[in-house]
Amino acid sequence: MSRNDGRKDTSASAFRKIDVDQYSDNNFKEEDADGGVGAPTGPDENEILTLLSQYPLQSSRGKNAEALISVLKSAPLECKNQQIKDSARNLTLKVLLSIKSNQMDDCLAQLDRDLVDVLMKYIYRGFEIPTEGSSSHLLIWHEKVFNISGVGCIVRVFSDSKRA
Amino acid sequence: MFRHRIQNWEHLWASNGDEMQTNTPQYALNLFNLIPLDTKKHSWNSLEFSDTRPKSLMLKSGTLKPYLTAVRRTLTAAMCLENFSSQIVEKHNKPEVEVRASKELLLTPILISRNDKEKVLIESSINSMRISIAVKQADDLEKILCHNFTRFMTMRAEHFMILRRKPIEGFDISFLITNIHVEQMYKHKIVDFVIHFMEEIDREISEMKLSVNARARICAEEFLKRF
Repeated sequence: MSRNDGRKDTSASAFRKIDVDQYSDNNFKEEDADGGVGAPTGPDENEILTLLSQYPLQSSRGKNAEALISVLKSAPLECKNQQIKDSARNLTLKVLLSIKSNQMDDCLAQLDRDLVDVLMKYIYRGFEIPTEGSSSHLLIWHEKVFNISGVGCIVRVFSDSKRA
Repeated sequence: MFRHRIQNWEHLWASNGDEMQTNTPQYALNLFNLIPLDTKKHSWNSLEFSDTRPKSLMLKSGTLKPYLTAVRRTLTAAMCLENFSSQIVEKHNKPEVEVRASKELLLTPILISRNDKEKVLIESSINSMRISIAVKQADDLEKILCHNFTRFMTMRAEHFMILRRKPIEGFDISFLITNIHVEQMYKHKIVDFVIHFMEEIDREISEMKLSVNARARICAEEFLKRF
């Protein structure tokens, strides 16, 4: 006595190809809690650029540090939109490259630990688009930041899911 | 020329006896002494290791030193690997950075560049990490030399233990380090090895370029003597 009496279609194997694992509850789901009203839009480009352009009028400890702080504070880390992230990256890179290596220590002294972590993320992001002389400048930044926060801040760049 | 180099290496290790019956050089292992002699675990307290490289290399000009320092520090940070079985297949244990089965096991990939040609990509995951190196290639001759050099090594990848048989796209050579390697070898020696390799490959290629040119000149001279 056959189990499928009369039914012809016994060779169907499509069900074997269903990926049952995707229905498991244990699967890792990326929270996509982006959007809503308070979605971060990244730093205000005009504000940063005016801060940078005010620099030549000031003494050596001018507005560059302010520009750095404000650009790091408003970094769109939780944002999912790659375009916003990229423009923030470009702006941050511009700020980083406009700070000369002898002013770095002054700027870093004004940052708190969380901002230093964000800064490290942007240093690594900056390596991804090397332009003339940018990498060597970023290498100096990397060294100075490492001297302050040590291996910890590199590990946090590796492991943080909020990417710069 | 490569054959010539191989013979040199074999000559170096000829006293090792049986091992040298195979005609592959034990270059990496012997030269860098990767494997700890005793199984006693090395203490991992100090993160900055004493530099054992010769003085001449440390004094290199330009951006090479900060570049290598940044790579060394990043590698040190990335070298935190632990055993991790596959989440999908029972009794399997695969390098997660290669299978990319789950996003939660992969860490942010980090790129460090010295200029637009020379860069290092460090991809890490819970139980493995992948280091890909792009070597400076100024002209066609350097390209050929670099290609042959990396090919020579990847064909003998099993002797280099951490070498990946195929480089990642866009890079010249890749290393794959798993938790097994980290358990069997000293972490800081692996980092040293990669840094040493990066120093060495540049020098090796420029040396070979010089000797190719010298040989070409002698050949041309001998040839033109007949006219």
